[in-house]
Amino acid sequence: MAEKKPKIVAFCCERHGTDAAVLSARTGKQYDASVRLVQVPCTGRVDGMHILQALEDGADAVFVLGCLEKNCYYDTGSIEGRKRVGYVKQMLAEVGIEKERVEMFNAASTNAWAFPEAVGKMVEVAKKLGPIGGGERP
Amino acid sequence: MKAKVQVVLCKCCTEMPTLLDLEKLAKVAADSDNVLSVLSVDAVCDGRQLAQVVNDAKDKETDRAVVLACHKKDISPSLLKAYKRAGINEFMVELVNIREEVVLPHLEEPERAQAKAESKLKAALARARLLAPQERQSELMRTRNVVVIGAGISGQAAAREAAKSGAHTILIEKTGKSLKAPGIIMPNSTLVASEGYGGNFKLKIRAGEKLEVLEAAAVVIATGGGWTQLKGPLAKAVKDAIPLYRLHEQVKAGTVPKDPIVIVDTPDPAGKTLRVQDFAWDDALETAMELKKKHPESQVWIVFQEMRAFGLSELAYKEAADLGIRFVRYDKAGPPKVDPKNPTSMAVKDFSQGELINLELGTLVFASIPANPDNEGIAEALRIPMTPEGGVRRGSIQRWPVTTPRPGVFVCGSALFPKSHEVAEREGEAAGSMAGQFVKPGTIEFGGVVAEVEQEKCSACLTCVRTCPYEAPFIGKAGKAEIRIQGCQGCGMCVGICPSKAIELHHYTDEQIMTEARTLLGGDF
Repeated sequence: MAEKKPKIVAFCCERHGTDAAVLSARTGKQYDASVRLVQVPCTGRVDGMHILQALEDGADAVFVLGCLEKNCYYDTGSIEGRKRVGYVKQMLAEVGIEKERVEMFNAASTNAWAFPEAVGKMVEVAKKLGPIGGGERP
Repeated sequence: MKAKVQVVLCKCCTEMPTLLDLEKLAKVAADSDNVLSVLSVDAVCDGRQLAQVVNDAKDKETDRAVVLACHKKDISPSLLKAYKRAGINEFMVELVNIREEVVLPHLEEPERAQAKAESKLKAALARARLLAPQERQSELMRTRNVVVIGAGISGQAAAREAAKSGAHTILIEKTGKSLKAPGIIMPNSTLVASEGYGGNFKLKIRAGEKLEVLEAAAVVIATGGGWTQLKGPLAKAVKDAIPLYRLHEQVKAGTVPKDPIVIVDTPDPAGKTLRVQDFAWDDALETAMELKKKHPESQVWIVFQEMRAFGLSELAYKEAADLGIRFVRYDKAGPPKVDPKNPTSMAVKDFSQGELINLELGTLVFASIPANPDNEGIAEALRIPMTPEGGVRRGSIQRWPVTTPRPGVFVCGSALFPKSHEVAEREGEAAGSMAGQFVKPGTIEFGGVVAEVEQEKCSACLTCVRTCPYEAPFIGKAGKAEIRIQGCQGCGMCVGICPSKAIELHHYTDEQIMTEARTLLGGDF
């Protein structure tokens, strides 16, 4: 049986986050195809619900990519995003799911390496931990 | 109402047709629900092909579109305009960046890329079905006033530049100094408080004894640097130290400062509180050379940690050395020290020689200027965050370097961090012209991607009011939160944090985001 491909969801802010991802592609970086990029206007928009729902829908890991905290397009957006991610991590720990599955990253739009690096890290986490709960999921 | 979707596949980039099976992709699109038309074009950014796409949308009477092309920022302006002319709302067009998200990063895995592209298409279709048209609104500005706070070099430049765009400029100056600048000048006045939003501000200004209310469309902060807020061990030890600009004035006036003159970069050499800016060295070198030329007998020392004269100013190093100005470089391990009991001598460890040097101290000059202490009051009145150094914080670099996080408020010169005269003037011009451009149309546009409160769910907990960096949410007359859409920037921070889930961000609703993620997760790649 072929190895099951991990499923990663990336919530990227429309400003620096997506720009960093686009720049990484334009500079010819290759990364794992298992990442699913979902655009949000700002990482502050990401709700704990979105991350948890993504995990429930079959994602093995979720990451949020926002602006650098000192240069956020929406001033405090990526700080809010980090808080939201921390909150979800705490919740996951309470229900007994590895909290490493959810992570927050920051990047400037000129950091071409940021997106592939984040993807690489999360793929590693997903491969190491396997599917949530260890068993088969529908 | 049933959605009527038009799908456009753009094959402009060369890798796309070779990597992906476009016919298969078109078939996936055609087989999906609600899709009335599938078009494959060579380049959607080409005007003729765009017209073809839009005409097709008109013929098939579609009401929304999914466009698989490249980066949103590259194609959206012309594309959305064309769709708008065809009667399709700009918020009903879903753009998928197939080039940079699928094709370019997965060149070596064509099968996975194909599956991913199909998934992306399905997710976009799912999201497109949930889209709703949004209308942008506009409001007239009540005035065309541009209020410039501070009438220094940058403030005057800002006023000149703003006046060129037809704005009425009002200069607010703390002191009573006379100056020449276009528009009204209010001497002896300070900004006390403000309300409103970019385009329609109401400023409370204390002019002398009176309190006046001034309407303004835009505000430029040009408070400049300050000297009274000096911190650091050197400033404590030497009470009669002077700033560089004071030395410059003295040299110009012809008075000779007490010999020997020691120019140090910062009053806190070992700490981080004051950053020394590049400009400081331009001005320091210039002043030292002028002094040395006028009074060749005087001794001038420049004690520095890292010296960065700007561009061609580097040539001044040699000239200064030829004139007999001596340089001492130190690092944080051996910063210059002055014993408070004996403020006439300074000990500094020379970095390159490794020797301890004792300098006689006649006049101590600090090259960098600390931030203006007035910044705090002004930033509080306009509700703008500040930097740890005490400067006004500017907005994201993406929003231009002379803007603040608050739309309609611009900042320039040493109010950001200390700068040289020349740079301050250029920045003033930039901020002034941006303020001028801001008020020129006479209207403010808003709406589109904005948040809206569902009043029944709101429990008036004030979380949104505290979270929003733009002060858009407020508690209305009904005792529930409302969003002032003129101020809303569409970031959705209040939406994500609302504990009652009472706020919704148009165009990025929970349902839209989660449906997109779910559809993408459904694909196997």
